[in-house]
Amino acid sequence: SGRGLGGRVRATGSAMEAVELRVGFVGAGRMAGGLARGLLRAGKVPASNILASAPSDKNLDAWQELGCRTTHCNLEVLQESTLVFLATKPHILPGVLQEIRPAVGPHHVIVSLAAGVTLQTLQRLLPAGTKVLRLMPNLPCVVQAGAMVFTRGSSAGDGEAALLKSLLSSCGLCEEVPESYINIHTGLSGSGVAYVYLFAEALAEGAVKMGMPGGLASRIAAQTLLGAAKIMLETGEHPAKLRGDVCTPGGTTIHALHQLEKGALRATVMNAVEAATNRACDMAED
Amino acid sequence: LQKIGVNFTVSNKDTVKSSDVLFLAVKPPIIPFILEEVGPDIEARHIVVSCAAGVTISSIEKKLSAFCPTPKVIRCMTNTPVIVREGATVYATGTHADVEDGKLLEQLMASVGFCTEVEEDLIDAVTGLSGSGPAYAFTALDALADGGVKMGLPRRLAVRLGAQALLGAAKMLLESEQHPGQLKDNVCSPGGATIHALHFLESGGFRSLLINAVEASCIRTRELQHLADQEKISAAAIKKTLLDKVKLESPSLSVAPASKVSLFTNKSPSSKKN
Repeated sequence: SGRGLGGRVRATGSAMEAVELRVGFVGAGRMAGGLARGLLRAGKVPASNILASAPSDKNLDAWQELGCRTTHCNLEVLQESTLVFLATKPHILPGVLQEIRPAVGPHHVIVSLAAGVTLQTLQRLLPAGTKVLRLMPNLPCVVQAGAMVFTRGSSAGDGEAALLKSLLSSCGLCEEVPESYINIHTGLSGSGVAYVYLFAEALAEGAVKMGMPGGLASRIAAQTLLGAAKIMLETGEHPAKLRGDVCTPGGTTIHALHQLEKGALRATVMNAVEAATNRACDMAED
Repeated sequence: LQKIGVNFTVSNKDTVKSSDVLFLAVKPPIIPFILEEVGPDIEARHIVVSCAAGVTISSIEKKLSAFCPTPKVIRCMTNTPVIVREGATVYATGTHADVEDGKLLEQLMASVGFCTEVEEDLIDAVTGLSGSGPAYAFTALDALADGGVKMGLPRRLAVRLGAQALLGAAKMLLESEQHPGQLKDNVCSPGGATIHALHFLESGGFRSLLINAVEASCIRTRELQHLADQEKISAAAIKKTLLDKVKLESPSLSVAPASKVSLFTNKSPSSKKN
């Protein structure tokens, strides 16, 4: 209200200066909260420069505790912010876009988190020439260990892409991709988090069968996944090689792996990624 | 063999007397009889190399020690592609075989492929992997060719291309520092033909089948060795059975009188059945 355009931002061709960047969130649920926490933890944006809107107070308390500003008015978010994350549930988004459209200007950078809502749809429902990007995060963004991909619309340039990547790296891995990879990312990593939970549960259950208490087994299972993933990310080595490194001849590991191969685990996992990806594509067309 | 200039005799004793390195290339059940027959002629200079699957160094040394106090025994496991000088051979040295004896064998076998020394207790595993391995490959090649034929290729071309594909892949792996998983990835472009095909292989449990095969061959080798160790049939009875078998298979061969049994058949010595 009367604040005019959200902060001073200069496009330098490589990265916009984020110091005075004002960031807004339309929708204040878990994912939005996770991203905001990441930005705050990394010191990328001061809390006072973050504004979130939600229809009720339910989610907003947590934001206020972080020092962020909150509102019930989506339009206000557009008026106060330059970088705006659209974090509502997908089926609500079209209505929200209609609502905020009058307040969207050429200085805005709009980032949609909505699964299944294409760049084409977003650009159709927003003013021509609006800088639009799509972001597909995953759940662990809430603990800053997310895997995110984003794709840019026709009016978004290198500056916007660099800004987004720089800001979101605070929440985990963030890579730009062609839009066609977004559904694959859903199948791999969006849903993939659930596959990992299933695997962790099964690992723990095996341990329980062999006599270990469940709580301990569960924590060890989680740490095992975390540790293995950490090695993979830090060394960049091929997982097949890392697997071989753990297998002493005739030892426990190779015996266990044989069981996994007998169960065609690899093919089953491929099937899962394929099924989730196909479902994401189908849903997008609905 | 005679065509390529190899000397030929029907007398095992003559072979032993005129050799320094003696390859025992008979079928495993026959080894004990050969050892009994040639034992007296084994001298300190001889290096006895057994290629018989499942026959242990200690069993050979035991048999020979009746005749020679410190017999030099080396056990080796090779495979059929020695014929084209792409064999895979391992060897384990016995109690009285020196380092130079092992190195001599290694030199000989390295001329027909890859050769390295191992501990004897690994030889059964080697049998399962590279001993039987060519059979797995022939099976795979037959099936790959079928796939090619199904999709329209003439059989001969399909066989030729399949074999070349495996040969090339093996060569790449041997010459590369990279893990086979990485080499596989390098062939799989995203969403392409190869990754679709690999998914089928994984669905069929391709990897586990191969692991199962190596395991089965190794275990069976151990079983056969165990059975052989426990054999209680009289030596004479087995000798007679084998002799009858030889007469049946090769009626044209003249068989020397009983005291000088020669068990050469028409088959080339390097086509060993594991």
